[in-house]
Amino acid sequence: MLLLAFVLAATILFVVLRVLGNPVYSLISVGATKEDIAAAAARLGVDRPLIVQFGDYLRQLVTLDLGNSFTSGLPVGPEIVRRLNVTLPLTLLSFALSMVIAIPVGFFAAWKSRTWYGTAFSAVSQVTGAIPVFWVGIILVFVLALGARIFPASGFPRTDWSDPGAALYALTLPVLTIAIVAGSELARYVRSATLDVLGQQYMRAARATGQSFGSALRRHGVRNGIVPVISILAIQLSTTFVGAVIVERVFALPGLGDMLLSGIVEQDFPSVQGVLLFSTALVLLLGFVADVIQRILDPRLRASLSGNRRVRAAA
Amino acid sequence: MPSRARARILTALAATAAAAVMLAGCAGGGGSASGGSGAPDPQAKLVVGSSNEPTTLDQVYGGGSGITEVFTGNVYEGLFRITDDATVQPLLAKTTKVSDDGLVYTFTLQDATFHSGRKLTAADVKYSLDRFIGKDSVAARKRQLSVIDHVDVVDDHTVAVHLKQRSISFTYNLGYVWIVDSKAGDLTAKEDGTGPYRMTDYRKGDSITLAVNKDYWGAKPKNGGVVYQYYADPTALNNALLTGAVDVVTGQSDPDTLDQFKAAGDTIIEGTSTTKDLLAFNDRVAPFNDVRVRKAIYSAIDRKKLLDSIWDGRGQLIGSMVPPSEPWYIDLANNNPYDPALSKKLLGEAGKSAGFTFTVDAPQGGVYSTEAEFIKSQLAKVGVTMNINVITNDEWYQKIYTDHDFQATLQTHVNDRDINFYGDPDFYWGYDNANVQKWLSEAEAASTTDEQTALIKKANQQISDDAASVWLFLEPQLRVAAKGVTGVPKNGLNSLFYVSGIQKAAS
Repeated sequence: MLLLAFVLAATILFVVLRVLGNPVYSLISVGATKEDIAAAAARLGVDRPLIVQFGDYLRQLVTLDLGNSFTSGLPVGPEIVRRLNVTLPLTLLSFALSMVIAIPVGFFAAWKSRTWYGTAFSAVSQVTGAIPVFWVGIILVFVLALGARIFPASGFPRTDWSDPGAALYALTLPVLTIAIVAGSELARYVRSATLDVLGQQYMRAARATGQSFGSALRRHGVRNGIVPVISILAIQLSTTFVGAVIVERVFALPGLGDMLLSGIVEQDFPSVQGVLLFSTALVLLLGFVADVIQRILDPRLRASLSGNRRVRAAA
Repeated sequence: MPSRARARILTALAATAAAAVMLAGCAGGGGSASGGSGAPDPQAKLVVGSSNEPTTLDQVYGGGSGITEVFTGNVYEGLFRITDDATVQPLLAKTTKVSDDGLVYTFTLQDATFHSGRKLTAADVKYSLDRFIGKDSVAARKRQLSVIDHVDVVDDHTVAVHLKQRSISFTYNLGYVWIVDSKAGDLTAKEDGTGPYRMTDYRKGDSITLAVNKDYWGAKPKNGGVVYQYYADPTALNNALLTGAVDVVTGQSDPDTLDQFKAAGDTIIEGTSTTKDLLAFNDRVAPFNDVRVRKAIYSAIDRKKLLDSIWDGRGQLIGSMVPPSEPWYIDLANNNPYDPALSKKLLGEAGKSAGFTFTVDAPQGGVYSTEAEFIKSQLAKVGVTMNINVITNDEWYQKIYTDHDFQATLQTHVNDRDINFYGDPDFYWGYDNANVQKWLSEAEAASTTDEQTALIKKANQQISDDAASVWLFLEPQLRVAAKGVTGVPKNGLNSLFYVSGIQKAAS
């Protein structure tokens, strides 16, 4: 099932890219002759019939060979791995921070939804969630990098992660940028999931048996409320990953998003394919993992898969 | 929540907000952190900020200008070197002998070593020239060097290049061809040149690090190494200069930002470029096959106003394809002056007094939309309707460059000495004047540079009189250097940027 989805995505990607442009024109400059253009097309393999190119493409996918960049000639696979050095920590840290922001804010907004400050929290998170991520980035740079000189305005240290302090220092503003926007969106989901849980009968039942509010929430509320939130989290992680594209531009971080943007501008099909196929695989995988976690947490979902009569009776 | 707790929270929030505003306010305005006022430090490491990242490390693999900026003259050297004033100096070609018929150039080579340790030999020169004009090369100046017929290795230190015909610009064009190590193999992931710097780190999308080559055969660099740091976003590049993350910016394209750099104590360096903005006609098709119509359009556009609005009074007006840095420059800026009355008169003579409509294909992005809108409004005043069709860079190469399927287009030409395109009737704009073709080919076959200059000047005057294209303006080369940084090359001739002369004061 996953494999089918992946192959479908890969095919759509192939078609869309090839319909959109001719990569040879990014290599040449004014002065190139017709022979030069034809030779370049032959070297890249783009002058062959589409069906032949597609066959090659599928064959390469099966052997996990992402080919060489049309513009730099360097292999795409190792380039993706190198860029992950930046994008993976950026994504994971942003995701973690967005949860740290979202869960208390969302919960508080739901818990105090009938008060003015609870509503205020909700309103603020709506606004911050609607602000474009690059605008947040620019404001943070203006205030904290140009203005107060606390953080660097851009860049990632050439020493990479051998100096983790410097790397984290460089990632602070980018992580903050993504976390503010993604966290606000997540907060709204947490708020609605919490509201949903708080209104449930089993909460009242738990309180009626003498449990404190906190205990009822922990033992019953969270376990039930977390299930829809987990699927949202998986989508959030993917979104954060893809959203890193814009942030990497603003902060001049040499990550996967930057590779994608440059690849698109330069019509570098192998690089664009490599990054998008990798992201597609990641998104599909995350969705799958989220599914598994949900089934672990919620026996009612397990039943449909295993058909276990004992579990059904217990739920 | 008890009101005391509520009050405390509110106070805390207000205090944080106030602090943030104060911090932003009092420290606002920036100021470069780098660069002091002491004597130049010969060991200083420089950071060069640029938005022109090379797409590949091998000039034969791709025609972009980014690699020239980093590598030409710094990591790789040619037989000749083109200085910031556009003159040709010998570099790896220690001596040059030209045969009487101008068809054989014999060079003896400097005693140089490649970064890998191998000595430079004539075989390397042959290898470099052959691959530059080879079948698979898409090097930017391949066309100019296809005058080479074959290259002979005479001995280890002597090479003879045989040309198909005389070419007086030959040594100039050789200034762009890298002499690479013939045994180095694939140069897309590494380099092997003879230059004053070697590349020690390459991070695509981020930076290229150059360290001083201790075994360099020539003059020692005046600094301790250079890092080219790339920024795809112009704001990020400007911020990097303001926060001292870079010491110099190679090409500033937004004149509005210059005030903040001046306020921060940076030096603005304004030189000339060879970047010409054109409104190019398709001279083959109506109505632009009529010289009167072309001249009418030319005179309907207030180019000074356009230049001022885009470049804020910097840059220059030109009247043909030749910028002031070239020996055959003539000041033709007013040859087709801004004169709407003249424009209407010419349109009348061409039988177009009722006006006409045409379409201009404008590539996406930046300055083209500004130019297009401006020209449209100017032409409307003389009764000409211009429709704007926005296309991608890709489409431009297909539709206009290859298929010649257009009426007019906007384009920027960055090469130096490219008046020769007007001598090729198959070039995209299709200008076909037998005299110009004769003069340009005779100029190339000239035996002295004076003869060459005289002939090209004739061609220069002719294309301007014919309004073969509308040369809107010549872009300035704006560079910004932090306080204490000196020796930055002023002019941007075809993206050359020699770093060995840049010095940074000890802070």
